[in-house]
Amino acid sequence: MKISYNWLKELVPTQMEINEFCAKLTMFGLEVEEVIQPGKELEHIVIGKVISVEQHPNADKLSLCRVDVGEEEPLSIICGAPNVVKDILVPVAKIGAKLGDFKIKKVMLRGVESFGMICSESELGISDDHSGIMIIGQNFEPGAPFADAMGMNDHIIEVEVTPNRPDLLGMIGVAREVAVMLDTDYTPSEITFEESDVKTESEISVIIEDAEKCPRYCARMIKGITVQPSPAWMQRKLIASGLRPINNIVDTTNYVLLEYGHPLHAFDYAKIKDNTIVVRTAKDKEKMMLLDDNELTLHSDNLLIADKKHPLALAGIMGGLDSSINDTTKDVVIECAYFDPRNIRASALEYGLQTESSYRFERGMDPNGLVEVIDRAAQLMQLTGGGEILSGIVDCYPYQITPKILPLRVSRTNSILNANMSADEVEKYLNNFEFSTKKTTQDSFEVTIPTFRPDIEREIDIIEELARCYGYNNVESHFWINRIDNKQKRTVVRLAKNHLISLGFFEVNNMSFASTDDLDTLKIPNDDYRRNLVELANPMGEQFSIMRSTLIPDLLRNAGLNLSYKFENFKLFELNRIYLKEGEDAYAEPTYLTGVIVGEFEPFYWKEKRGVTSFYDVKGVVESVFSKVHCMKNITFKLSHQPYYKKDSAADIFLEDKKIGSCGIMKDEILHSFDIEASVMMFDINMSNIIPLYNEKEIHFEEIVKYPPVLRDIAVIAPSQIEVETIEQSIKSVDPNIIQDIQLFDLYTGKQVKQGCRSLAFNITFQSKTSTLTDKYVDKLFDNIVSKLSREHQIELRQE
Amino acid sequence: MKEQIQEILEEARNSIPSCGSDKDLEELRIKYLGKKSSLSDLLSKIGTVPKEERPQMGALLNTVKNEIAQLIEQKKSVLQEKEDSARAQGLDVTMPGRPLPIGAKHPLYQIWEEIEDIFINLGFEVAEGPEIESEYYNFDALNTPSWHPARNPQDTFYLKGGMLLRTQTSPMQIRVMEKFKPPIKIISTGRCYRVDKVDPSHLPVFHQVEALMVDEGITMSDLKGALDSFVKRIFSADTHSRFRPHFFPFTEPSAEIDILCISCNGEGCKLCKNSGWLEMGGAGMVDPAVLEEVGYDPEKYTGYAFGLGIERIAMLRYGISDIRKLITNDLRILSQFQ
Ligand SMILES: [Zn+2]
Repeated sequence: MKISYNWLKELVPTQMEINEFCAKLTMFGLEVEEVIQPGKELEHIVIGKVISVEQHPNADKLSLCRVDVGEEEPLSIICGAPNVVKDILVPVAKIGAKLGDFKIKKVMLRGVESFGMICSESELGISDDHSGIMIIGQNFEPGAPFADAMGMNDHIIEVEVTPNRPDLLGMIGVAREVAVMLDTDYTPSEITFEESDVKTESEISVIIEDAEKCPRYCARMIKGITVQPSPAWMQRKLIASGLRPINNIVDTTNYVLLEYGHPLHAFDYAKIKDNTIVVRTAKDKEKMMLLDDNELTLHSDNLLIADKKHPLALAGIMGGLDSSINDTTKDVVIECAYFDPRNIRASALEYGLQTESSYRFERGMDPNGLVEVIDRAAQLMQLTGGGEILSGIVDCYPYQITPKILPLRVSRTNSILNANMSADEVEKYLNNFEFSTKKTTQDSFEVTIPTFRPDIEREIDIIEELARCYGYNNVESHFWINRIDNKQKRTVVRLAKNHLISLGFFEVNNMSFASTDDLDTLKIPNDDYRRNLVELANPMGEQFSIMRSTLIPDLLRNAGLNLSYKFENFKLFELNRIYLKEGEDAYAEPTYLTGVIVGEFEPFYWKEKRGVTSFYDVKGVVESVFSKVHCMKNITFKLSHQPYYKKDSAADIFLEDKKIGSCGIMKDEILHSFDIEASVMMFDINMSNIIPLYNEKEIHFEEIVKYPPVLRDIAVIAPSQIEVETIEQSIKSVDPNIIQDIQLFDLYTGKQVKQGCRSLAFNITFQSKTSTLTDKYVDKLFDNIVSKLSREHQIELRQE
Repeated sequence: MKEQIQEILEEARNSIPSCGSDKDLEELRIKYLGKKSSLSDLLSKIGTVPKEERPQMGALLNTVKNEIAQLIEQKKSVLQEKEDSARAQGLDVTMPGRPLPIGAKHPLYQIWEEIEDIFINLGFEVAEGPEIESEYYNFDALNTPSWHPARNPQDTFYLKGGMLLRTQTSPMQIRVMEKFKPPIKIISTGRCYRVDKVDPSHLPVFHQVEALMVDEGITMSDLKGALDSFVKRIFSADTHSRFRPHFFPFTEPSAEIDILCISCNGEGCKLCKNSGWLEMGGAGMVDPAVLEEVGYDPEKYTGYAFGLGIERIAMLRYGISDIRKLITNDLRILSQFQ
């Protein structure tokens, strides 16, 4: 539905700024989809009066016009349109005007200068008519801005009307709704006219044969009307609403359609045989020619408006060609009816005829609003075309459709909305909607629902209307999700656990008690954080005297136990809290993830050799856990000196600068204290440092780079003390945008490599996000890498 | 006849080595050496040969027959060899595939996760809290009178310095209610501690889940509904609960919760000691004094709470009769929970 804001302002007093108004309208339930300002594009376009038209001296098809645009001198404009003649009013685009992308400038056409352009409707974007220049029918002063004159300095608000609200398909209905929204009144135009002495019923009679499909039919007549262009104000409003003016009769039916949302039809009285309108269903195979030159073959479910002999219109959908208004029409019959929505929907669907009229009837019009609508039409037809309005309406309304009366409880309303509206407040809102009210108790009303609101059928429907008045955003939110929930921790814990399990780990569960002997056995020094002990006042025994400050001893005991059951190769982990004293009555309970790999990392397999387990296996486990919980990018490994690891066989794990754990191969003597004769690797990670970093929402899709990667291998001889990470960083720094990935794929030490060095080979992926890399470019980068490694680290390219 | 014999030999010399299978070879054997073979046929016609040529012809037939037999024998062993080596190198689909490891979550934590998920689906939030608590949160705020035996060091672990190890997850309820206004709909889960000798049905360290809901209009029906929804999901749709009056300091009315025995469905069995019911935990409507303590208006708000032991639920679900099995960490047990 297109709403002209100017027109709306005539009906409802508001000066609200357009954006504010639209925001309010949307929040009230009429969703604004688009706002168009049609006049915005029409600057420097004015009304011009053609004073003279001469033949262009050098071109047959061009005319030389002098056009008065309200300035001292008329403009000299060359025009190619066939319909330009003296004394007409036309839209003139002056120099500086813009039509779409086309800017009007002074031009030389076949040796004659032109100072502007006379425009067609299509050039102005009003319609697609480009057959000639637009001739303005009404009277305006030359020089008047065209957009003003045409009523185009307006905002056209396109709103989405939901299918349950047919009452909002007309300006009056919208005005009523807006008035409720703004808590004000709306004023429809006054309907007054003189009627002649001749009675309508003496000239025309109406017979409804099928009262179910047509419960009500009203007719009025105007005699001696002149068919002519409608006045400017009417044309302006039609144009603003997207309709093309045709003549005063068609325009009036369209205008009233826009105003009241109710479709009307006008018949040429001369073409109604026997002066009788019969509302009947079609005979099987009955044929009818529609206004759009389309011939239909009908059947008995189709409702027709007919005279005694022939069909005049397909009821509520489209008029027939034979009975339509033309320039010679003198007497007009106006139809205003209420048709059964289901029947209109079925017929419109059947013949594929979606018209302004059928669109409305199938949503349900107001059967009790017909008199006002038909009177308004009669008033406007007479206003625009003269003639006399016959006295009275022929009104066939066999079975009265009465307004529904529904009970409404204020308490029920408040309990649904969690609101606190008073009965008076509720009543005021209802009356604003034109629902009349009768108070039955302190808490309840009888509410009469006008027939223009077919959507209100139950108490709850009324409550919805009251909710809109109360304001959806004024309803208090009882919000409680995500205040407390430990989702982040739960997610990380579950990801880590499930990941380890898929690597073959078994989870263990140990009690929280421990003894200080365990810490001594692990040779944990006195200044270590794990010596900040939480001591029990009433322990159950010496070995349970403290709360454990590390999970390591329990896991080693679990490993020893299972070795005694003849398990040789297995992996265990525990994810639980440790307990640390931080001060007077201050304690910390960080969550640790600690695991052991006993024996071989890979399960025994007949196809492969055994005994290849190394530090890199436990490191791989740790890295994969960090990757799983999205924090690998901030993790680094440094050689560890924890007392329970074998020398040069372990790493401390850092999250940025913070040490958060370690992993490595356990010392044999420590293992012996736990009766373990097998090899054991361990990792021990403070998860409480990792959990807060996890954010599942940080994953964002990235467009796949469409330029192919280039892969190159580099093999180098590097001094042994230079760590691989240093070499990788050095390579990457040559061009971090292009060097995407560096993978170590070979390590060799031995005879062919000089002493104190090792041979390393990397696979490097080069890829640009913006272009295809040329070999030449990659060669250059490769050379830079070689020279950088040589310069900074004395690393040499391996000679084959 | 000589030519015919030579022809047969030539054909056999060609066809036998190029034959591909035992079956084809057998067909060739029948063709050349069988009773109806052309050689047999020729042998039977040897009488038609002039007498002086007969011995020579007979010897030739024999030689050819022997050669063909030898060819077949040779071919047979070639085929056999091929098959043997194919067997040795080829696919034995019954040999073990690469053993990709599968570990297992500890049964207690499996059940813990399942419990959390059930309550999350019922719209509860999960709150965790400290295990090292103050007497205030563990007892005072929960309306526990000073004379209550639970406060004794015979029942509760105290730390040097006066703090204690929480005996229940309820302190978290107080912490949540202190911080947030109703509606409150949470479970608090975690480790709890009570001074108990380790025996088949007791551990000093155990796990609990407690549910708390506080809002306007919360009734005892909501309590029963939440509890029934839970037990039906964790056990089976047939399970339901009953309430027995009891005393807890922080609920009023208070009840102990029994569920219909999941083993005998109420008939009476060893598991339920013939009572037909299994004791599951405690429940009740939050005591107005507790609500008042956290600054809620007890006239406006009501609430329920119930607490269940996770070990107990795990034991019932898995049919474990000795609680100590849940802390032995024996792979012979753990590997049953893959
Ligand atoms: Zn039982």
